[in-house]
Amino acid sequence: MKLIDPHIHCVSRTTDDYLFMSRCGVVAVSEPAFWAGFDRSSASSFGDYFHHLLDVEPKRAARYGIEHFSWLCINAKEAENVSLAREVIKLIPPLLSHPRVLGVGEIGLNKNTANEITIFEEQVEIAAQHNQLILIHTPHLVDKHKGTDIIISILKNDPRIRPERVLIDHCEEHTIRLARENGFWAGLTIYPVTKVTPQRGVDILEQFGPDMICVNSASDWGESSPSMLVDTLREYRRRGHSEAEATRVFYDNPCRFFGQSEKWTLK
Amino acid sequence: MRSGKRILEEQYLEMRAKILALAADFDRIQRAEEGTATLADPRLNDLRACLHIVLTDEAPNRAERVQNLLSDKTPPPPYQSEKIRKS
Repeated sequence: MKLIDPHIHCVSRTTDDYLFMSRCGVVAVSEPAFWAGFDRSSASSFGDYFHHLLDVEPKRAARYGIEHFSWLCINAKEAENVSLAREVIKLIPPLLSHPRVLGVGEIGLNKNTANEITIFEEQVEIAAQHNQLILIHTPHLVDKHKGTDIIISILKNDPRIRPERVLIDHCEEHTIRLARENGFWAGLTIYPVTKVTPQRGVDILEQFGPDMICVNSASDWGESSPSMLVDTLREYRRRGHSEAEATRVFYDNPCRFFGQSEKWTLK
Repeated sequence: MRSGKRILEEQYLEMRAKILALAADFDRIQRAEEGTATLADPRLNDLRACLHIVLTDEAPNRAERVQNLLSDKTPPPPYQSEKIRKS
């Protein structure tokens, strides 16, 4: 069965992870720009990071038969430094035409501060001006519901933003309604401790139905794993869902969302 | 669709292990230096309220209600598009 991991930070993963994904049937991944685990000192550091995402990582993935696409932005955490964030944002528009860029992301909020919101609004503006898909990072833990509410309020307030071209990621039990009822795609990130477990992820799929939901591992430099995607698939199948239903969730849904970009090549 | 009885059969040992782990977490805090005082930490009071939802409340959507209980409910800072919308 073919799978897509719609959100994974391959720059932080080993070649063993690529090999694992390839063996499990992962044929494509999408990698949003994110926080590297430390605050970068200059915009040029982001320039190098974007080069890594767009030109280096696709070649690395291709060795394992995996198509690699990216999203560009300054992440919510480093957006707290508004002057640096604005320098980074200037780097983005010329790169949006790169054949491996699907859109702007993962933009959003971290601690729901005024500075983060300012930079989020400015990156929504970039996406709107350039008619880009948007991938949204919602905050973690105690800040998630409030941050998701602010993000959706901002997106709904802009008539240029079509909700079906936006994926609100890291949804959980208390935020998925906000995303779905406002017409957005929802992402479920499967993490062992701090987000959604495979069992809870499948609970959400069963309660809300599989439409407009993408399941991802969001594997990065922390405690996370590409195996979370496969474990969720196994739990989904264990509960009696057919292979066709699983294909719809773990392959067709990402294809439908990403397929709104003409650069997405998988059918 | 699987029955509740079957799910319980499959999950019971895991559920038992989870509540034992939580009980042991509280014990470990209490045994530690200043442990008894730490038991009054607001975060642990939140967890006690969550346990009330899980263990004594028969209403559905427990996971969603636990998530909401653990969420920040303070108002957001003012932001640009909100000002535009209200003007």
